[in-house]
Amino acid sequence: MKNALIATVLVLVCSLFVQPLSASPEDNVRLYQDYFKKRFPNIDFQEFANGVYAVNAQLRENWEAIEEFPPYEPFVERGESMWNTAFANGKSYADCFQNGPGSKHLYPQWSKEQGKVITLALAINQCREANGEKPLKYKKGPINDILAYMAYESRGQLTNVVIPADDPRALEAYKQGKEFYFTRRGQLNFSCSHCHFSSSGMNLRSDVLSPAVGQTTGWPVYRSKWGTVGTLHRRYTGCNKQVRAKPFPAQGEEYRNLEYFHTHMSNGVVLNGPSSRK
Amino acid sequence: MGVLLKYILISIVTTGMLLSTGLFADVSAAEDAEFATLLSEAKAAQKKANSVGGEWRDVGKFLKQAEQAAADGDFEKATKLAQKAKTQCELGYEQAVSQKGKAGHPSYLQ
Repeated sequence: MKNALIATVLVLVCSLFVQPLSASPEDNVRLYQDYFKKRFPNIDFQEFANGVYAVNAQLRENWEAIEEFPPYEPFVERGESMWNTAFANGKSYADCFQNGPGSKHLYPQWSKEQGKVITLALAINQCREANGEKPLKYKKGPINDILAYMAYESRGQLTNVVIPADDPRALEAYKQGKEFYFTRRGQLNFSCSHCHFSSSGMNLRSDVLSPAVGQTTGWPVYRSKWGTVGTLHRRYTGCNKQVRAKPFPAQGEEYRNLEYFHTHMSNGVVLNGPSSRK
Repeated sequence: MGVLLKYILISIVTTGMLLSTGLFADVSAAEDAEFATLLSEAKAAQKKANSVGGEWRDVGKFLKQAEQAAADGDFEKATKLAQKAKTQCELGYEQAVSQKGKAGHPSYLQ
């Protein structure tokens, strides 16, 4: 009887300190966002949309100078032209995206019909293929033009990824994305969280590591390193290579589920794409 | 007498050349076979690591370089690279399997 009582008390005490395995996505969002609010107490929550420029004054100064003549503007203009140009069958992107070009806040979304996460890039290519057009490449090239235009038109809306309760496969996809995020990989044995949670704001050689919350709001991004605008999945590829892991295919299941989890983490943060980064 | 000596010398040199060529051919064939076995093991390890998403970045490059070195006859370099690729695949597989279903929040998030 006494042992049972002690065991019960121990379980209760432990449960106060351990995050339950069955924590819901909403619990996780609160947990992650609270972590960063405590880590960077002087930063306004919406500032997380600016990534590393929210946490480092010197880098911010340089970035603001770059933003005076945004390097992604030509991409937005080309994307607008793509949006307004009819496909060979006479239809256009507007026939696929009922909310107009400012639809980024609806992605990534769970498709019950297709049983998978649909990202904006994938939706663009599904639209093209449904109308007899060739799909665009997922990392470089014209997909960035149309993504840049749609991101620009979506500015000011809030990240709002939904994990629908009526399809357990959606939660499973979210969990797979979460597992990917916290899994160590590559020769350096790093997970995404090693750089973008506990080391966020710190230096990695000459770079400052950005906080995980807010990382998805500004895509596609003009990276000075690339000299062009690139997609989020191109960046995922780069991150995996940096820890010396073999990257996964852009828009494959692994990265789509990762994007689902990763973007959900920023629910409530304003969309500000396209953006520029070092 | 002189002619006989000449024929004997030519015979010795020719025999020696034939023997040494055969010997080198045997050594080269042995190295080739040994490398082929190692390469096949490394590729199997790569497939296994890839099946759990645990392949590391440079494995494919090492295997290509190993094959090129073997084609150039540098079996020492080829073997070293194939062995490195195989070891990395084994470690990558263990890394991925050890975390399957277990990766979660780090302690500071709990």
